[in-house]
Amino acid sequence: MTQFVLAAVLGLLFAFGTFLVLRRDVVRVVWGVTIISQAANVYLVTMGGLEGLAPIGHGHGGGGPAVTDPLVQALVLTAIVIGFGTSALALVLTYRLYQEHGTIDVYELGGSQ
Amino acid sequence: MSTLVIAPLLVALCTAILTLLARPSLRLQQGVSLLGAAAYLGAVAALFGRVVGGGETLAYQVGNWVAPFGIALVGDALSLFMLGLAALVSLGALAYAVLYVDDYGQRLTFHPLYHFMMVGVSGSFLTGDVFNLFVWFEVMLMSSYVLVLFYGGREHTRAALNYVVLNLLGSAVMLVAIGGLYATTGTLNMADLARRLADPAAYGVNVLPVLGLAAVLFSVFALKAGIVPFQFWVPAAYRAAPAPVTAMLAGVVKKVGVYAIVRLYFTVFAAASLPTALSFPGLAGDSTLAFFGPVLFLMATASIVLGGVGAVGRDDLDSVLAFSSISQVGFIVLPLAVAATVPAVRVLGVAAGLVYAFNHGLAKSLLFLVAGTVRESVGSTEFADLGGIAGRSPLLSATFFVGALSLIGVPPLSGFFGKFLVFDVAARAFATSATGAVATLAVALLGAVLTIAYYTRAWNAAFWGEPSTRVREFLGDDRSVVPDGGQSTAENALTLGGMVAILVGFTVAIVAFGIGFDAVYGAAEAAARAAVDTGGYVDAVAPAEVIE
Repeated sequence: MTQFVLAAVLGLLFAFGTFLVLRRDVVRVVWGVTIISQAANVYLVTMGGLEGLAPIGHGHGGGGPAVTDPLVQALVLTAIVIGFGTSALALVLTYRLYQEHGTIDVYELGGSQ
Repeated sequence: MSTLVIAPLLVALCTAILTLLARPSLRLQQGVSLLGAAAYLGAVAALFGRVVGGGETLAYQVGNWVAPFGIALVGDALSLFMLGLAALVSLGALAYAVLYVDDYGQRLTFHPLYHFMMVGVSGSFLTGDVFNLFVWFEVMLMSSYVLVLFYGGREHTRAALNYVVLNLLGSAVMLVAIGGLYATTGTLNMADLARRLADPAAYGVNVLPVLGLAAVLFSVFALKAGIVPFQFWVPAAYRAAPAPVTAMLAGVVKKVGVYAIVRLYFTVFAAASLPTALSFPGLAGDSTLAFFGPVLFLMATASIVLGGVGAVGRDDLDSVLAFSSISQVGFIVLPLAVAATVPAVRVLGVAAGLVYAFNHGLAKSLLFLVAGTVRESVGSTEFADLGGIAGRSPLLSATFFVGALSLIGVPPLSGFFGKFLVFDVAARAFATSATGAVATLAVALLGAVLTIAYYTRAWNAAFWGEPSTRVREFLGDDRSVVPDGGQSTAENALTLGGMVAILVGFTVAIVAFGIGFDAVYGAAEAAARAAVDTGGYVDAVAPAEVIE
């Protein structure tokens, strides 16, 4: 059941992110990129499998129920940190763009040389 | 196991941190930065001697965690070939940047960013782990975002926004592909991945989704390398960045995408066999490469034609060079396409692509630096403002001439051998009556003609003929070797003289590598052999068997 819910949510997130990236407003584009990269992160977590306990719940010396794969969570932590930095840069860049061009409309930006 | 593998990474990282610490004194910072780039070249040379000279593949397991549990860094002939190119171009471009970038900019961020970019580049060339490759890409990109944005003017912010948004999307797509690869194969270590793909039944791997995910990953590498249809960010970003950064982006950062294609598709994914239902009619072999061969061919053809036609129609030096860069990447990928399709010429094809990448790295960096010098001395790179520079500054013009001739492919310059090998590979493929060999020859010929056309046009418009008013105004009448930069202050002349001296250094390197081409080809062939030797790569990393 969880798989289907997550698959549907991921599909919606990617669709919504793509929709925003195709907007004219640069701020929305940056949001769209952020949502797509977050969707990629959620997708990464699901790739480790959804069965099993949280990795910290595993008893020492083996035994007990299986834990989920902790590797994907380590990957996602790395990806989140990187995504945080790049999103911040993209937002600052949007502000600089507004300062330089006086607009954040992609069409008007395309026309101004 | 050898710690020497991480030497280039450590040198670049330490230099980046030291240049941050040395910010109070500009001279000290420049000294540390240059020294660091020279030490980087030294570290790469030492590693090169061990790996290519000694013929061994060195693997370093980070934190002594055995592969595939830990991250492996692998120095083989292919990595070292690319590192060698990066070290040469980065030292030259950095020396140029010290003269070219204004003091305030250098003091602010330039040097740390430049070296952090080199950290990312070195890591990408050395890593043996797919997710780690993503991380190094991000390190490299993060620095390059700020370097493209460096001047912070109107055009720069717009170009940087395109560049950042595209690469953020590329990163998300790369994550999706990597996550999928992990879910289907259960590993991220490249050597382990190759081993599992070679024997999918034993490890319970389904090859079909891996093929699709490899194709998704391919689009990300194509975006980094600027291959059509992922080339649209190239001209704007190259125009916006400072000249030495553009030289690095075109000469080195682009090659990271090419390297990733060679490493992952020729070493790792080549181990997988296609399900017979997917085999393409008329193509030899059922390797995954047989699937990517036609894809590479179409993208290379589109790059050569679109870049070449685009370059012919541009009206300023920077844009011509940027479009030429798209076209030349097509020339790097074209022999790779032949190598992927025709197993008989696989080693030669990969070697041809690498030699072309090496030559393009040197020559295109030189040309972008010439364009930077022209902008610095005349104040414009529009053809309408230029003309007759050859009469006013023969030495500067001569360096452009040599760089252009090298990309056109005139002996004895190193570019001749690059072009020659591309044709040689296509001709050999034709001799084995492989599908598409005639088309490959035709595309290479068309690309060569286009290259001659746009460089002839650029030479005629900017360097030949009567000096334009602007050139007459800014460059002295006395046929001085050194352009005097308009204000003809002693310091200005010295700076421009230094720039021209660095350009001459690049030119000498291009001629020297052409005359001593045997050594370059030896290294390229060793690199190509390492690239297609999946077994050797797996053995060198020696990933432990995972007990399920």
